[in-house]
Amino acid sequence: MNNFMKKNKSFLFFCFLVLLVVLVAVFAPFLTGGQDPTEGILANALQKPSGEHWFGTDKMGRDIFARVIYGTRTSLTAALSVVAIIFTVGTVLGILAGYFGGIADAVIMRFSDMMISFPGMVLAIAIAGILGASIQNAVLAVSMVSWTKYARLARSLVLKIRHRDYVAAAVVTGSKTPYILMKYMLPNALPTLVITGATDIGGMMLELAGLSFLGFGAQAPTPEWGLMLNEGRAYMAAAPWLMIFPGLAIFLVVVVFNLFGDSLRDVLDPRDE
Amino acid sequence: MRRSLLKKMLAFGLTGALTMGMLTGCGGEGADSKASSDSGSGSATEAAADEGGKHLNFGCYVYSTSYDPAEYQNAAWDGTRHGIVECLFKFKDDLTVDYNICDKYEVSDDNKTWTFHIRDGVKFSNGNDCNAQAVADSLNRLYTVCATDKKSSTPETYLEMDSIVADADANTVTIVTKQPYADITSILCFPFYAIIDVEGDTSDAEHDYTADSTSVIGTGPYVIKSMDETTKCSELVKNENYWNGEVPYDSISVIFIEDDSTKASALKTGDIDLTENITTASDLEELSGDDNFYVSKTPGMRSGFAYVNFNGILGKNEALRQAIFKAVDGQTLCDVTVGGMYTYGPAVLPSTLSYDYESLKNDFEYDVEGAKKLLDDAGIKDSDGDGFRELDGEKITLQYITYTNRCLSDFAEAIQISLAEIGIDVNVTNTDSDTEWNMMQAGEYDLCDSNWTTVGTGEPSAFLKNWYGGDKGSEFYVNSQGTNYCWYENDEYDKLYDQYMASTDLDERADLVIKMEQILIDDCAVLVHGYYNSSFLSNASKVTGADIHTVDYYWLSTEIAPK
Repeated sequence: MNNFMKKNKSFLFFCFLVLLVVLVAVFAPFLTGGQDPTEGILANALQKPSGEHWFGTDKMGRDIFARVIYGTRTSLTAALSVVAIIFTVGTVLGILAGYFGGIADAVIMRFSDMMISFPGMVLAIAIAGILGASIQNAVLAVSMVSWTKYARLARSLVLKIRHRDYVAAAVVTGSKTPYILMKYMLPNALPTLVITGATDIGGMMLELAGLSFLGFGAQAPTPEWGLMLNEGRAYMAAAPWLMIFPGLAIFLVVVVFNLFGDSLRDVLDPRDE
Repeated sequence: MRRSLLKKMLAFGLTGALTMGMLTGCGGEGADSKASSDSGSGSATEAAADEGGKHLNFGCYVYSTSYDPAEYQNAAWDGTRHGIVECLFKFKDDLTVDYNICDKYEVSDDNKTWTFHIRDGVKFSNGNDCNAQAVADSLNRLYTVCATDKKSSTPETYLEMDSIVADADANTVTIVTKQPYADITSILCFPFYAIIDVEGDTSDAEHDYTADSTSVIGTGPYVIKSMDETTKCSELVKNENYWNGEVPYDSISVIFIEDDSTKASALKTGDIDLTENITTASDLEELSGDDNFYVSKTPGMRSGFAYVNFNGILGKNEALRQAIFKAVDGQTLCDVTVGGMYTYGPAVLPSTLSYDYESLKNDFEYDVEGAKKLLDDAGIKDSDGDGFRELDGEKITLQYITYTNRCLSDFAEAIQISLAEIGIDVNVTNTDSDTEWNMMQAGEYDLCDSNWTTVGTGEPSAFLKNWYGGDKGSEFYVNSQGTNYCWYENDEYDKLYDQYMASTDLDERADLVIKMEQILIDDCAVLVHGYYNSSFLSNASKVTGADIHTVDYYWLSTEIAPK
């Protein structure tokens, strides 16, 4: 254990930072002193950062500090949901395509090719536009265009071992297909997929914030960073704090998750060293 | 190595070209405009620049790619807004009517036969005479094509014509209406009734009216040189045959800018010289405080409000409705939330209109505690402790639909916060105007934002019809006779409205309007946000006379000139 800690200091450091972000989300009510992020005093609109309102107030007189802190909940939940969905769907479909081949492979992969042929964000905007603007639909939209990466990755990893002798041996000794999939295929694909998933959290967060910024994601008065950036856009010169703090929050959290993903790769896949 | 370098240079070049292409998609300066306008003899800007002519870059929201008054309402408005077409009469800023193409008129005792003398010397921009026959042809064509499904304007809504006949010798046009009207001169100010040079035989049913859309020939100071339907940018040039004085600009680039912040930035950077209606309070405040810019603001005739659906929970529970009206601090919403873009008032018609606003009484002024008491007394309480009240054991969640236009979505969001304070949950849906309109017609709302030009024809009958005839059943709406999409019912209101429509006595009509307004206030029938303040913003060193008019459909005129 000590040896692991010594060898993976950076991983532990980024784990700590990720934990910090999660704790901010969990203890948001405590950190904001019970301030409701959706509650505003209309007469207190656009106040500069002060002792009373650390990050100032927005055009509805809401406390931006509370909104940024609570925004961690929205962004983190949404980004993790996307990653969980695309990880699961992509992995399952990819393993099935790689293992069974034939028609299953052709159908799944051609469908995946079709999704890839569209620019991801544009397709996500179209899907979110059709489904209606909400954070749930944004999660669905981003998931629908992002699962293909995992499917292709899982398929290629499965194909690498599909015709190995030990798999053939398992088949001839009577192992059932679900057992082979769970025992041989999934464990083989999992480390690479986990690394990809961890690295994707930051990117997904950005995509979701982008959709909210464009009006296809979270809707007012939800405290969500992309939406807050959009709300502050019109006041960029007169009240820059409306954009600075949510912008900073996105930047910090995305950097933390990206670096966490990189350090996780170093741990799980030490070949790069 | 050399190939790699070549590739990099090519990629760099392409990236640069793409970036430039994106940035100049709808540029205002000459060469850019030329690229997006139609080909041929080159852009107006370029021509003006070559001749050392006076040029104006006008950044604005473009509502239509057609200027044909018969096309649909936005097209008609853009025609007058861009100074391309004119009407027989025009409004002054106090909403009294001034002569324009018509220089005198007579009306019969029964208020049904109106004879208009056409001003001598008025010409269309193509040099043709705008005489009595041309005016009659234009109006006849309007009514003919709007009766078909080829065009969507609804001139019949405001003025039901029996006949329009020209007397070429006397240079007069006689209009016979189906019913008596108190005054049709104000109705004839409305952009539907703009006079255009009608090409071809208007009595020919096969005439291709679609060809008239962007090639409209009017009598206004400017003429369409080109219009790009994709970018919605257009080039206007001086009307060499203008009948009413000197036209100050040789050419104008009308640049479509959708976003208010972009309008403000473009004005600050000098990309445009003039713009309209910046609704971002901070930008407006900044530009107002800068001597380099001239900001003209006026309380217009536009009212911002939320319909209350009387088929929904609010219509059925009076105490809930009254509490909601009491919980909204309209004054703060107008002064702070939208930064003075609106002037607050509880009545549906703007306080600046001559309907004795001061005599109106509002029993539902802002009073949070009063609102809470009303709800408590009505048994609407929060029994499960979730912070929101229930009615008959069910949590109240009001559906509020809005769209991003003239700060309406800001009002919706602020009202959501205000109502949360008295324990009423509100779900705000911010959608586009078409979707909102469809949801409104389907009655899928409790509160629905809208803003209306209240006296587009000089009087408010079309606007007040929004609350008329609620008891006439669904047929009334289906066949488009009514616009009462809030299903408001009040017999007294309907009686007053019928009386108003039948009356030709202007004083009596004004009195009836005040009574109708008071009924709407007493019934909490419509949640009025306030009265929209229109604005014009110009570069003070380049442009003079850029004052906004009370009437929303007057923008470009000969008053706006280079400095």
